[in-house]
Order: sequence, then C-alpha cells, then structure tokens
Amino acid sequence: MKNRLKVLRAERNWSQGELAEKLGVSRQSVNAVETGKYDPSLPLAFRISAVFDLAIEDIFIRD
Amino acid sequence: MTMKRDEQHPGFPWATVLWGVVFFAGMIGTGLLIRFTQLVPAPWSMALMLLPMLALVPMSRAYARQSDSTACASPAARRYNTRLITLSFAYVFGLMVAMYFYREKEVTDGLAAALLALLPAIPTLGMIWAMARYVLEEQDEYLRARMVRAAMMATGLLLSIATFWGFMELFGVLPHVEAWWAFPTWAIALGLSQFWNKVREQ
Repeated sequence: MKNRLKVLRAERNWSQGELAEKLGVSRQSVNAVETGKYDPSLPLAFRISAVFDLAIEDIFIRD
Repeated sequence: MTMKRDEQHPGFPWATVLWGVVFFAGMIGTGLLIRFTQLVPAPWSMALMLLPMLALVPMSRAYARQSDSTACASPAARRYNTRLITLSFAYVFGLMVAMYFYREKEVTDGLAAALLALLPAIPTLGMIWAMARYVLEEQDEYLRARMVRAAMMATGLLLSIATFWGFMELFGVLPHVEAWWAFPTWAIALGLSQFWNKVREQ
C-alpha cells in the first residue's frame, strides 16, 4: 500500500528512529511501512494517524 | 527538506560477523584438534568445546550494540538472544556429561541411558521454547511477522528435506539420518530464510 509517510516525516524533520520512538516500534518497522513492504495493522495505522494528527486516509493511499 | 542520518541502511555488522567467524573457526578447530590429536583425554576434550563457545558472548553483545544503534532489536529479541546462548552452553555441557557416562562408564541400562539422553535433549527443547516465547513476547508486529514468515519458510524447507531424504533412504540411495537432526536442520533453514528476507528487504 502506498503512503505519504516519508514526506510527512520530512515536513516535521523527524528521522525514522524518532518516528519509531513516538510509535513505540522498531526503526525497521517504520522503514518497512514507509517503503510499502509491510502494511501496518489497524491499531498501528491508528497510532501513526494520531502521531501525525491526520486521518488514516490522508496518510495511506488506496491502490 | 533534509533527511537525517539514520535514513541510510545501518552499517555492515562487522563486529558481530567477526565474532561469529571466531566462534565457527574455534568450534571446527577444537573439534579437529580433539579428533586428530590425543592431547586432551576424555571427558576434558568435550569441555574444551566450551572455550570457542565463549565467543558467543561478545558476538551477542556486538549484535545488541549494533541493534541499539539502529533501534532494530526489541527487548524481546535481547531476551531471546540471552536465552539461546545460555541454553547453548547447557546443551554442550549436557552432551559432554552424557557422552562421558555413555562411553567411558558404559551406562547403557534403559532408564539410566534415557536420563543421559535427556541431558542434551532438554536444553534443545528449551531452544524451541525460547523461539516460541520470542514470538509471544515480541511487541513489534513487523519484527514478529518477519520471524513468523522465516519460521514458516524454515518449516517448509525442513519438511521438504525430510520427505526427500526419507524416500531416498527407503530406496537405499542415501544413508540413515538420526531424528535429532531435525532441529539443527530447521535452525539452519531459519537462518537462511532470515538472510533471504533481509536481502529481499534491501
């Protein structure tokens, strides 16, 4: 699934590690989600949405 | 917009690989030394195998350091490493004691022999338990999914090898292989699967 994580993260000047810390996951997880190699579970998607203060559909793009 | 340093892939884990090489070279070297020289009498020869195993300690420390710096390991992964190393020592020690009594003291009586066989078997079962605990304790869904995927691949590989070998053996093409090989084969297959997944991720 495509997403805007990299851009959103860059806008806030957060590193992958910093975002990982805010989400309580590993940096690898952030990398895997960001590059579209892993689709997060619904709970993690909601955590991502809360961290960016955006709706899920503003972060993840339907194929 | 500037991206920070940790965007890049973490560096190659030289220290971990180096200690891994030391471990394998030590194990093979000590094995050959025991096999082809009579310098160290049994049961001390088996105790000698514990020496190269000490390399596992700095190896896991180096891995944890690398993992911390890239925030890739979780507390569950660290517990898993500690458990596996402890159980590996228990396995070598158990095997050493069991082989000594089996060969030198000729303990071959049913119950006593069964108890001896349990000495290396129990730590091995412990390793399987440690893997199950890891999957249960891992809070990071991606790391957990990665482990589960690698374990499924390893299971497929083991079942394929066992089926192939079993029929080859039945028709007298390949020699008999003892059943305890199942776990080391699965563990090697797990390592290969994890490596393959890592390559695919990059």
